[in-house]
Amino acid sequence: MALGGTCVHAATVSVQVADRGGKPLAEAVVMLVPVSAHLPVRPMGGVEIAQSHRQFSPRVTVVTVGTSVSFPNLDTVRHHVYSFSPVKSFELKLYAGVPATPVVFDKPGIATLGCNIHDAMVAWVVVVDTPLFARSGAGGKAEIDAVPAGDYELRVWHSGLPESNTGVSMPLTVAGADVQTRASLATLGPRK
Amino acid sequence: MSPRTRWWQRSIGGRIVLISLGLLLTVQLASFVALRSSLSEHAHRVLPNQLKAGERVLQNLLDRRAQTLISGARLLAADYGFREAVSSNDTETIVSVLANHGARIGATETALLSGDFKLRASTDDEPLSLLPLVERLAAQAIDSGQASALALRSGQPYQAVLVPVKAPVVVGWVLMAFPLDQQLATDLKSLSGLDLTLISRPARREPWSVNLTSLDAARAASLAGQSWNEPRDAAAMTSVAVLGEEIGVHDTMLRLGHESDGGASVRALVSLSVDEAVRLPHDLLLALIAITLVAIVVFALGSIFTARRVTTPLRNLADAAERLGGGDYVTPMTGMQRHDEIGELSQSFERMRHSIAADQAQIMKLAYWDPLTGLPNRARFRDDVQHAIGQARPGDAVVVVMLDLNRFKHVNDALGYPMGDLLLVAVGERLTRQVMRDGDVVARLSGDEFAVLLRSGDAALGLAVAERIEESFAAPFVLEEQPVDIGAAVGVACWPLHADDGDALLNRAEVAMYAAKHRGNGAQLYDPSSELASARTLSLMTELRHAVDACELRLYLQPKLALDTGQLIGAEALLRWQHPERGMVPPSHFIPFAEQTGFIHTLTLWVLEEAARHWHVLNEEGMPLPLSINLSTRDLLDQNLPQKFEALLSRRKVAASAFCLEITESAMMDEPQRALATLDRLSAMGFTLSIDDFGTGYSSLAYLKRLPVNELKIDQSFVRNMQTDADDATIVRSTIDLAHNLGITVVAEGVENGQVWNMLRDLDCDHAQGFHMGRPMPVTELSTWSTSWASARRAKALDSALLH
Repeated sequence: MALGGTCVHAATVSVQVADRGGKPLAEAVVMLVPVSAHLPVRPMGGVEIAQSHRQFSPRVTVVTVGTSVSFPNLDTVRHHVYSFSPVKSFELKLYAGVPATPVVFDKPGIATLGCNIHDAMVAWVVVVDTPLFARSGAGGKAEIDAVPAGDYELRVWHSGLPESNTGVSMPLTVAGADVQTRASLATLGPRK
Repeated sequence: MSPRTRWWQRSIGGRIVLISLGLLLTVQLASFVALRSSLSEHAHRVLPNQLKAGERVLQNLLDRRAQTLISGARLLAADYGFREAVSSNDTETIVSVLANHGARIGATETALLSGDFKLRASTDDEPLSLLPLVERLAAQAIDSGQASALALRSGQPYQAVLVPVKAPVVVGWVLMAFPLDQQLATDLKSLSGLDLTLISRPARREPWSVNLTSLDAARAASLAGQSWNEPRDAAAMTSVAVLGEEIGVHDTMLRLGHESDGGASVRALVSLSVDEAVRLPHDLLLALIAITLVAIVVFALGSIFTARRVTTPLRNLADAAERLGGGDYVTPMTGMQRHDEIGELSQSFERMRHSIAADQAQIMKLAYWDPLTGLPNRARFRDDVQHAIGQARPGDAVVVVMLDLNRFKHVNDALGYPMGDLLLVAVGERLTRQVMRDGDVVARLSGDEFAVLLRSGDAALGLAVAERIEESFAAPFVLEEQPVDIGAAVGVACWPLHADDGDALLNRAEVAMYAAKHRGNGAQLYDPSSELASARTLSLMTELRHAVDACELRLYLQPKLALDTGQLIGAEALLRWQHPERGMVPPSHFIPFAEQTGFIHTLTLWVLEEAARHWHVLNEEGMPLPLSINLSTRDLLDQNLPQKFEALLSRRKVAASAFCLEITESAMMDEPQRALATLDRLSAMGFTLSIDDFGTGYSSLAYLKRLPVNELKIDQSFVRNMQTDADDATIVRSTIDLAHNLGITVVAEGVENGQVWNMLRDLDCDHAQGFHMGRPMPVTELSTWSTSWASARRAKALDSALLH
């Protein structure tokens, strides 16, 4: 495998994410998708999106394809979690506690989750088909370690983007050295 | 009272009622106007606020509608199935859900837009027309999560809302719109009582059209037709006239959700009727009218009552005054018991009635009674005479005996007026006591003039009474123990013999009385031929003046002869009037009149002038005769007479001695002192003075002696009768002796035959005048007469000589 052979040449890609005004965006999802090859991914385990204080927690969750996510309800009120997103359309009808069956996100994409009885509750599940992904910290910086050399498509997404917007993508070639780049997103500002 | 005066000008009562009602109506009208104006003022102050409040209500209504719409849209947007359909892009389902939810809240348009406001589905046939509105709403919606706005579409105002569809983030937008309909106006009307008219126009310069209104169509159309182009002050009320009614409008431009570059606009006209607000409430108006009517009735009754209280006594007073005016002084006044002004007036009237009655009695007394003697006066006597004539039966006669005291003035002068008054009273008493029968009336006509009315009788009775009167005067009156002797001239006239009516009868009696006075020989019955004071005398004055100017007067001369020699020794100048129509007028017809009027002065001077002229003529003819001229009483009283005579004589160049002035006894009696003074001066001038008609008066010899008299003429009445009457002969003889003793020449008048001539000659009388020798003749004939008389005398003397 070409990529395996270059493991010793693995580099770190750090991306500085900001909005159009140059303000660093935290919680942005950054991923590298190889242009020609497919890197093997494994489903993640023990991923939970809890409902606490009538909010999803966490609001943004990044999972690999095939990962099962459980939705424990920590509130005393019931929730009706749904998703109309094509990536994963599902519905967990009014329930309390933890639903019996977790939801398996088996297609890459972004699923927007809501609660049918609490309009203010929103959460995103970003399903990636690559092991190379990271989330930006408070300073807007996201770092992906151990990136093998090769041609990639760098995708950056943030929940502040409009619904129809799947984020920005740009080509990125990793040649062994660390790469530093910037991404600017046209976010809408805080969601109401 | 002119016929043009109004009824209220003729009646105080009417005026009182009119004024009361007028004042009442004025007050009522004033309060009505004040009420109206206060209502109007209040309304105009309150109405703008009311309208402004109405506008707020409208905005509220619109907000609520928007809210309803938003709620409906949100309901739709939140619907799980709908969101699922949206997410799954199931267009057919989406449209059916849109239609379903739109129908629930009456929205006519419902559409689904994508998250970036692209139209995805719509119930509308022309969805593209919604897009301009969407653009406008989008910004607002992104900003605040929802949006609402008004829109004008195909001339129809719409209310539109935009809400997001969240799944759970915004995945699209729901647009809902529904037209503003009549319900809006109805709601506003029911909430605020105000009318709403929504007008719109698609573009500037287009006419406004009515979209909805709570007014009737005509009013709304008229309102829309007003000029709404100018921007109006939102706070103010605009007053407009709509179909003759004042309407207050609050005009609001409703903001449209989409850009209206073309000037499309919608206005909300919140209005109410100012007239209606200002109008008096119906029941209040009725109450006012009722109060006014009741007040009119009460005031009318009250003022009529008051007016009656005033006018009834006034009318009574007017009637009473009318009675007083009509001569009724007996009926007492009414209303004197009142204590007000009317009562005072009544009492004044009552006092006036008494005083007028007393005055009237006094006037009657003064008018009809002589206060001195208590006898009826001339006016009363005249009434009595007329009454007697009116009452006389056919065949009856009414007789008036009138008397005038002789020389009463002398009594007044000599004894004083109080004595004169006493004499008059005494005469009245004597007449009443001695003369009157029942029904006869004795009256004092004036000064010293009395009259007796004999109601039935004849001329003979009248004369008998007249004689009784004269007899009664024979006894002297004793006044304060002093005897006064006085005579009276008495005249008698009868109706219908002498006069046709009472006035004429009095006149005739007076004429007779003057005749008696003139003749001095007892009571006279009226003699028509002696009429002096008849109606003719009025024209006599004029004619007499004319006679002097027209030379109608003639001077006649009557020869005066010496009895012893029969020679012509003088002539008496006598005045004759040759009237062109009446012929020769005897002196007795105009001399007394001339004396009465004073014209005698002119006549006397004329006579003297003529006499002077003729004296020269006669002198030239060889007859230098002294001429005698008669002077009247008035002449003697004229202080200037001597001067006038002197001037005349010097002009005519004749000596005073050429004239003898004859004065009657009576002429001396009226004012002896003045007469004597005149006589003294005339005598001093050289005139010969003569007493005429001697014996008819009462001259005492002592008096005669004091006069500067040269001659005395015995009255012809004695001379004429001396042949037959021994008394008269004695009087003549003693007069001659007396005169001669006093050195006075004696002339006998009225010698009518030769026997008398001879008797007089035998009595040693100096001169004679009479028809026997010569009548009065024109001056020119005197010469002829003189010649014939002289030849007759010679013939007689020859006869006599031959006889002896």
